[in-house]
Amino acid sequence: MSHSHAHANTYLPKLAKIVHIKEEIGGERAIKTYRLEFENGDGFDHEVGQCAMLSIFGRGESMISIASSPLTKEYKQFSIMRVGRVTKAFHELQVGDVVGIRGPYGNQFPLSAWKGKNLVVIGGGVGLAPVWPIVTTAVAKRADYKDITVFYGARSSKDIMYREDLERIRGQATVHLSVDRAEEGWKEFVGFVPANVLAKKPDPKNTVAIVCGPPIMIKFVIQNLQQLGFTDEQIYTTIENKMKCGVGKCGRCNVGKDYVCVNGPVYSWAQLKDLPQEY
Amino acid sequence: MSMEKTLDKALLSDWIAAVTSGGWQVHGPALEDGIWTFKPVAASVDLDYPNVKQAPKDFAFPQREIFFAFEHIKGEAPRLKEVKPEAPQCAVFGVRPCDGRGAVRMDKVFSDNVNDPYYQERRKNTAYVGLACNAPPSPTCFCKSVGGSPVSSEGMDILLTDLGEIYIAQAATKTGEALMAAADKLFGKMGAADKKQLDKVHADAVAAPQRAVKDAKGAPAALKAGFDSAVWEEMAKPCIGCGICTFLCPTCHCFDINDEMTGMSPLKGQRVRTWDNCQFPDFTMHTSGHNPRETLGTRLRQRVSHKFRYFHENFGMLQCTGCGRCVSECPVGIDIVAVVNKVAEHVA
Repeated sequence: MSHSHAHANTYLPKLAKIVHIKEEIGGERAIKTYRLEFENGDGFDHEVGQCAMLSIFGRGESMISIASSPLTKEYKQFSIMRVGRVTKAFHELQVGDVVGIRGPYGNQFPLSAWKGKNLVVIGGGVGLAPVWPIVTTAVAKRADYKDITVFYGARSSKDIMYREDLERIRGQATVHLSVDRAEEGWKEFVGFVPANVLAKKPDPKNTVAIVCGPPIMIKFVIQNLQQLGFTDEQIYTTIENKMKCGVGKCGRCNVGKDYVCVNGPVYSWAQLKDLPQEY
Repeated sequence: MSMEKTLDKALLSDWIAAVTSGGWQVHGPALEDGIWTFKPVAASVDLDYPNVKQAPKDFAFPQREIFFAFEHIKGEAPRLKEVKPEAPQCAVFGVRPCDGRGAVRMDKVFSDNVNDPYYQERRKNTAYVGLACNAPPSPTCFCKSVGGSPVSSEGMDILLTDLGEIYIAQAATKTGEALMAAADKLFGKMGAADKKQLDKVHADAVAAPQRAVKDAKGAPAALKAGFDSAVWEEMAKPCIGCGICTFLCPTCHCFDINDEMTGMSPLKGQRVRTWDNCQFPDFTMHTSGHNPRETLGTRLRQRVSHKFRYFHENFGMLQCTGCGRCVSECPVGIDIVAVVNKVAEHVA
């Protein structure tokens, strides 16, 4: 047993206080964005694409993507859709409440390897959250990247998360929004995200495309990117599976030999297409 | 083997007494309600037994482990109290070679990437005194075909071999040497005749016929090629999802983590790890209802592929040690040897 690990207990969460809550979307599958500040001088740094295990004591834990940039040190941000036991409990919480957090878990988007490239970030629904730190980090280090393009689609204009943030980055990034069905006053694209990508035709030359959203959206976005000439190495996505431990031991998030909590969640399509489709 | 000695069978109880007075809790096989289990040994132990029904993985990885206790008084921050495992020094006598090799595989899982502090604490306080299988303890044994041996000392601190009137004790680790040194006077020098008899018993044990995975070396590649084979669903059809296969297995390590409540006002409870099972449908089911392994066939494929492919891809060794428990105890007769052989045949 290595001595340096003698006191590390990965299963013991640190405590963090909710300092800000933003209601992104209402309704049955509401989304709220939480800013958490570590208590007791605790903390950890993370990389773009990593996740953290959030706890509500008495309810349990959920693995959630860290939606803030690693450049933001004061707090970590999480956008949480109200779907299960823990996330429903999260939606009951108020500013000032204290929760548990452990991590960071998983690999990362290779942002430094992408310096000098065009970035095309494609999100659908709550799937914008895991890829959002790519956008905010690249915008903060704007000179490091060429064109930054964001595609984001939601069912209706009421279902668009990070609305103000998306408006704020226009000028430094090209933002293409879409809604599934036509509605009055909507001036941008009407239709699904894959169709919007095909309509706007991002140029694959010196570009990486990163996609996250519902599985069916990811599937068709990838097909359309390939049609536009993107190679499998130029396409990235981030996947999820049910998780408990976060450290590759509890056995349930595996996709073939990989544990998504350790070897994922970030994959290039070149890597992912060779893994079993168990996600 | 650095230390090889003889032990008169009549002196086994004296050795156990010496080990016990050295601060070890000694466990040995005991027949309880018709089932062999490891139990704390008071005086002596009879090592003339087949194998325990359930692999002894629980010494380092108990079925239930409390990680920490929490208390949350309304309006205050939650308070957490880490629970350190109470891990007395345990010496387990009579561990069979398949289960010793199982411990080696569990060690890989719980030390890879991040050390599991609970497992490590218990494991370092556990010693395995193995017992060679002079003859296969069960008709479902297949250790030889998966890289093991009925006389393997892999994972053991000591390997005992039954030579009729005496045991040969071969220390495999420093801990094993210390356990023998604690009762040095009880042991005798292994003479040339003893050595000859030991070699003969071991050779006969290795020669004894067993069931076999036909081509275990080729299994990782065969299971990869046969990932989409119809064989999985076909062979999983009778499965009732009881999970006995994983429960008894020496190398199944999957677990769940849940909060158990002990009080509501103030809110009190503990976060607990319990064994879990890849044969249960909700093991992988997302909150959305989407399930990456929705059918019996995909779950059987996961169990078998983990043992014979994924673990090999990660650690360079098969995870299955051929104990045969999942075969003998399956209520519907699902047979991992037959499954691997059939998938391999199907892709050949």
